Amino acid sequence: MGNEAVALGLLEGGCQVVTSYPGTPSSEILPGVIRLVKSEGLNTYTEWSTNEKVALDNAYAAAISGKRAACCMKQVGLNVAADSLMSAAYLGTVGGLVIISCDDPGPHSSQTEQDTRLMARLAKVPVLDPSGPEEAREMARIALDISEEFKVPVILRPAIRVCHARQNLSWDPLQSNETKAAFEKDPTHWAATPRFRFLLHKELNRKLDEISRRFEELDGINFHSLEPGKTYPFGIVTGGVPYAVVKDILKEEGRTDIPVFKIGCPYPFPERMAEQFLSACEKVLVVEETDAVIEYFLRERKKVMGRLSGHVPAEGELIPQVIHDAMNGVLKSLDLPLLGEGNEGEAAALAKQLELPVRRPTLCPGCPHRASFYAIRKAQPKAIFTSDIGCYTLGLNLGGVDTCLDMGAGITMASGFYHAYAQDGVEQPIVATIGDSTFFHSGTVGLLNAVYNDARFVLVILDNQITAMTGMQPTPALGILADGSKGNTITLEKVVAGCGVDFIEVVDPYDLKAMTAVVKKAARYSMDPSGGIAVIIARHPCVIAYRQQALPDRKKVVVTDDCVECNLCLERFECPALYHDDDLERTAVDQALCIGCGVCLNVCPKGAIVEA
Amino acid sequence: MKDATMENMNIVLCGLGGQGILFMTKVLAQTALGKGIPVMGAETHGMAQRGGSVVSHLRLGEVEGSLVRAGTADILLALEGNEAYRSLPYLGRGGRLYANASPEVFPNPKVAPYLEKHHMVCRCTEASRVAMEHRSPMSSNLALIGFFSGFEEGPFTFAALRETVERISPEKFRETNLKIFDTCHTIAIGHRRDK
Repeated sequence: MGNEAVALGLLEGGCQVVTSYPGTPSSEILPGVIRLVKSEGLNTYTEWSTNEKVALDNAYAAAISGKRAACCMKQVGLNVAADSLMSAAYLGTVGGLVIISCDDPGPHSSQTEQDTRLMARLAKVPVLDPSGPEEAREMARIALDISEEFKVPVILRPAIRVCHARQNLSWDPLQSNETKAAFEKDPTHWAATPRFRFLLHKELNRKLDEISRRFEELDGINFHSLEPGKTYPFGIVTGGVPYAVVKDILKEEGRTDIPVFKIGCPYPFPERMAEQFLSACEKVLVVEETDAVIEYFLRERKKVMGRLSGHVPAEGELIPQVIHDAMNGVLKSLDLPLLGEGNEGEAAALAKQLELPVRRPTLCPGCPHRASFYAIRKAQPKAIFTSDIGCYTLGLNLGGVDTCLDMGAGITMASGFYHAYAQDGVEQPIVATIGDSTFFHSGTVGLLNAVYNDARFVLVILDNQITAMTGMQPTPALGILADGSKGNTITLEKVVAGCGVDFIEVVDPYDLKAMTAVVKKAARYSMDPSGGIAVIIARHPCVIAYRQQALPDRKKVVVTDDCVECNLCLERFECPALYHDDDLERTAVDQALCIGCGVCLNVCPKGAIVEA
Repeated sequence: MKDATMENMNIVLCGLGGQGILFMTKVLAQTALGKGIPVMGAETHGMAQRGGSVVSHLRLGEVEGSLVRAGTADILLALEGNEAYRSLPYLGRGGRLYANASPEVFPNPKVAPYLEKHHMVCRCTEASRVAMEHRSPMSSNLALIGFFSGFEEGPFTFAALRETVERISPEKFRETNLKIFDTCHTIAIGHRRDK
């Protein structure tokens, strides 16, 4: 997998410290590092950090002590780490430091399609943009070298199609890097005051000029297929995943008449090579993901087509068909030979005609979050439901999620809503939900703030004892470290109490009655003048991560003819194992999907869902 | 349109989250690798994996990108009928569609003329039913692979696929997996004889 290729490249580059916070599509990099560290017997330190900023700060300290370090995250995670990144760019590094920020054009599993290359430009750090797993591996190594040589952090931004691409790779035995930590004190540099920061900025600009020249000399980063002295009516400028697609299309179509300029390092921008390419081509099409970056750098507006000019869709993933169609659109307008068209348009029209059911993502059968959301809605039907980022965002299918802004916003928006309504004298019930891992990531700061400013709401921490959405990483509450060894356990209840909360109740959401009663009690407390914020910890293990433990007593569930087709169970409980059977004219249980949690036994108002 | 040869083949696998598309992709990729054919593939992870439509791409041969372009797949393996229709734009002229569906209702009469027009071949079997009969409802994926193995597509011979399934199945499920695989292979052989 591409993420494992990145892991391999980091270790081939002698990386001694790797930190990360999980997030699709980056989550498999750290586990990939750990597998190699174990199989090759390396000394590399690894950790799941509590959030991306924490991860970067930890890696940064290792890097300025002279070691090679990396930290991995998804693209929106870099927003959390942005504060560190901006400053680290000015201060620079001693050992190589690479920040891996994985982009998600589409988006498939993110709140935005933001482009890490723009963050690199903003922070003024070099960024490398691989087109496939093998190149991601090479670039991870090059990034460490360049970073150490020029004393500046370097970003590697593999996009989802690199991260989750599968390609066969082989490697030679790896060796530990034995560099020892040797931090040299220099407060005027490492703790520079604003006056010195101006000088550091100047220094950074000088480094970037040098790096730009170095990349023009390095083979295989930025390159084009122009033949000397020849001119072309049309050329393509591209990088990252779209480069791979463009290359495949041109090969499949046997088009040698279209030159390609591949930009592996979009910042600092390869100005001289770009100048060369533009002067050899009458028109160029820029094919890049996710935003326009290269297109902005190419200054000849009349020559350049791309996302800004409307020749390539301004948003969304550039899947091969989209690139094929964009290329054909431009070829047609230039009166050049077109690429071949297939039968796919007809098939797409046909599929549309069939009105296929839309398959939305949904919580798994037996998911404890489903039980929590059902109980919350039942107890507080009129509340505003602020929520957060994780599997439980899918609680929106159950009407239990009204907002999802960013990590930690379940809590901060709850306090925001409270004050907005309280200002008008309105007692608006609010129930916030947040997962255990997200709470550790960025929940505590918001909770401290809410308690301090006397906001009133019910907070339900959905504690399934794992970071489920991103692939089952441990949380600080488990006391298990990234490599499976024992760490210290952080108790959720103690953290909540430490934030100044007096109402803390732990409940198993599988017990719908108890859960509903606790939510009601918590709501009363939060509305009481002498009350405060009420926190409920809804604790039940994830059914995917802990099958046995989560389902000690499996039940065979069936639906009787007492069902009156009110569809309450389908709409409010929304378990994938329950469906409407048109022949039986009632709800039925899909026994292949049902895992026997038995929570739905308490959902049907007619008592038609029973244990067989 | 390019031809499917031993070295160059585009495959799309589709179904619903939780049906085991990743395992199926792994079986095919490992089998090709075992024959010395380079592979590139693209998988779905994260939010998109939770019960929604899942598509996995696998490309054999010297290719750069991991995604199959619409209209260029040689083979479409579908673990669910509606998902097969949804992914139909991937299938190229002369492509083969293998679906977990009953031949009595699949393909839909609206779809059949399209398949015929573009010389596509549809081969389907009730993989889920076989999996259920073996008390392993989550093994429709293996059932479909077993069925697929009966048609000896390129490097995906019966022997090679069976060997991969045996090798990468977890110990606990190996015996059942092979039973399901073999049952569906036999169905495929019968299917071929009937034609």
